[in-house]
Amino acid sequence: MACARVPLDEQQVTERDELGRERSLAALHPDRKQERLFVPYAALSADACPAEVEEFLERGRFILEDLEWLLGLPHDKFWCQVVFDRSLQNCLDSYVHHAPRSLDLASAPSSPAVAETQCSLHRAVFFAFLRMATHKESKENFITPAVFGDILYENFLFDVPKMMDLCVLFGKGNAALLRKMIDNIFLQQPSYYSDLEDTVPTILEVFDTILEKCGLRCAAAAEPVKLNAHKQPTAVGMTQQDFVDIVLYLCDASSTLHAFLSVFPAACATFHSRGFLCRLASFYESVVPDLENALTKRTFQDKSLQEDVWRRLSHSRRRMLETAHLLLHHTCLQPILEGAENTQTFAEEVLQHFTSFLSEKRFLCDYDELFPIEDDVSLLQQALPAIDETRTSYLLQGVHSAWESAGRRKPPAAGSPS
Amino acid sequence: MSPPRLTGALRSFSNVTRKEDFDEKLCDLKTKRLKRQELFAKEGLTWQKVFHFCTDHQDKMKQHAVHQELKNLLFAAKQIVGSENGQEAIEHAAVFLLETFHNKDHVGTEETRAIKQMFGPFPSSAAETSFTCVARLVDSLRDSRIDEFIQSYCSRHKPQQGSSFGRNIAFSHECFMLDPLEELPCSGIQDQNMSLDF
Repeated sequence: MACARVPLDEQQVTERDELGRERSLAALHPDRKQERLFVPYAALSADACPAEVEEFLERGRFILEDLEWLLGLPHDKFWCQVVFDRSLQNCLDSYVHHAPRSLDLASAPSSPAVAETQCSLHRAVFFAFLRMATHKESKENFITPAVFGDILYENFLFDVPKMMDLCVLFGKGNAALLRKMIDNIFLQQPSYYSDLEDTVPTILEVFDTILEKCGLRCAAAAEPVKLNAHKQPTAVGMTQQDFVDIVLYLCDASSTLHAFLSVFPAACATFHSRGFLCRLASFYESVVPDLENALTKRTFQDKSLQEDVWRRLSHSRRRMLETAHLLLHHTCLQPILEGAENTQTFAEEVLQHFTSFLSEKRFLCDYDELFPIEDDVSLLQQALPAIDETRTSYLLQGVHSAWESAGRRKPPAAGSPS
Repeated sequence: MSPPRLTGALRSFSNVTRKEDFDEKLCDLKTKRLKRQELFAKEGLTWQKVFHFCTDHQDKMKQHAVHQELKNLLFAAKQIVGSENGQEAIEHAAVFLLETFHNKDHVGTEETRAIKQMFGPFPSSAAETSFTCVARLVDSLRDSRIDEFIQSYCSRHKPQQGSSFGRNIAFSHECFMLDPLEELPCSGIQDQNMSLDF
């Protein structure tokens, strides 16, 4: 047993080796890992046969048994297992990669036994990650914070995609715990912020890929296109499967991003500094009307599938708008509300963003409907009475024109006379 | 196969995740069962100990019958574990069967599942035979505290040291759902007639 009141990373233990000789070694040592062999998680497909269901249940029981064993281990043994057992890391990774999201098509379990196993696994995996994100379990059981940060980072116990997966899998019902976990991970290991920065361009590439697949962005726009070249793909012309996949991809991307930024608002600053908001608005402006248009024009044999895809597209739209609002709120509006020192700079940034939205008319109308721009302008006017009135009038007039040019009527604000 | 995911793209195209992939095939269910058998074999209760206990707690008149039951149990274990396995594996399987059935009155779902988890698919007749053998052994050793003997070795039934992490933390199974359609803002789904007049 390791000594009390000394961080785990500094503890030494005395154990017997295979030959029965006593030896002293670090409490966190690969030789203290126990042989277990965790199996990776594999999701059950919607059309699984009984044998596949049986295999899923058996695999689930193995994972559950092993995770319950893991969670029952004393602090030092738990960390030896987590750090040095690649099969455990692989098992946890496979769960966050492959576990069904509630927004997947046909995500409902095929039988009560499958549902029960899935629920138990879901809980056990969450607690395994929660324990891994906790550097101090009690007064006796703790790790030096800086060492803890290095352990997480160097062993890839957490990485940015994994944290995003955790947010979309657990963020609805366990947001408070998840926030504590992710806050602590970033606090103890600031290198994750630079990983986050590296991630933003890849997310933007995902947007570009979706645009390309819809024929809304040419992959090599600089090169002249041959006259006899294959026609650009379009959302109307592509196969139904490709179309559904694109909407599902959009739905997953927008939901994951929104879940992550909701749970960990500190990430908003990183996204904001990489010009993410403008790119999001212009992506929305291109892709949403195109996919909506294609959805209505395409002939679906299965009308329920068409309805389902429509719901996912609408859901994606809302998540993108909410993400834009989160970014604006946490990086500019919140500091103004909190009376930050450079309020003028933040106000200027808000106005600049709103002005840049004027060219993205569809985005502007949809955003304004969910988060009235007039309210934010009013907030700016209250916070900074000296704000340029000509500019705010121009902006509000632009919003009004966007509604008119889209042929839509802005719904009356809550509480206003009908 | 998982549907396309944002995090899948991040794993493939960014450099913020571990690159070398752990070989998932190394961890198939068969390998896992072998590992469980290996771990079970290290738990402490051996066939020799079972043999001695059964022999020591039986008068000489009945020892022949006990030996016969132990032999039958080994034979049933051989059918479950597979004849290609050595004597040691068969003996460990017999110990497992004794642990599984010593306090049971029939071969239930739980027992069937436990055997399958340990050895994979097996003939149900072998499970019935082993259950009968164990029942006869336990019956003949009624006063000899076989339960205590097994419990003293069987780590599967031992409470784990300390309490399980998260036991007192509330967990919610609530998950994100699609927004109800009617709550969304006007969709603008109608096709906008584009004018080609210049």
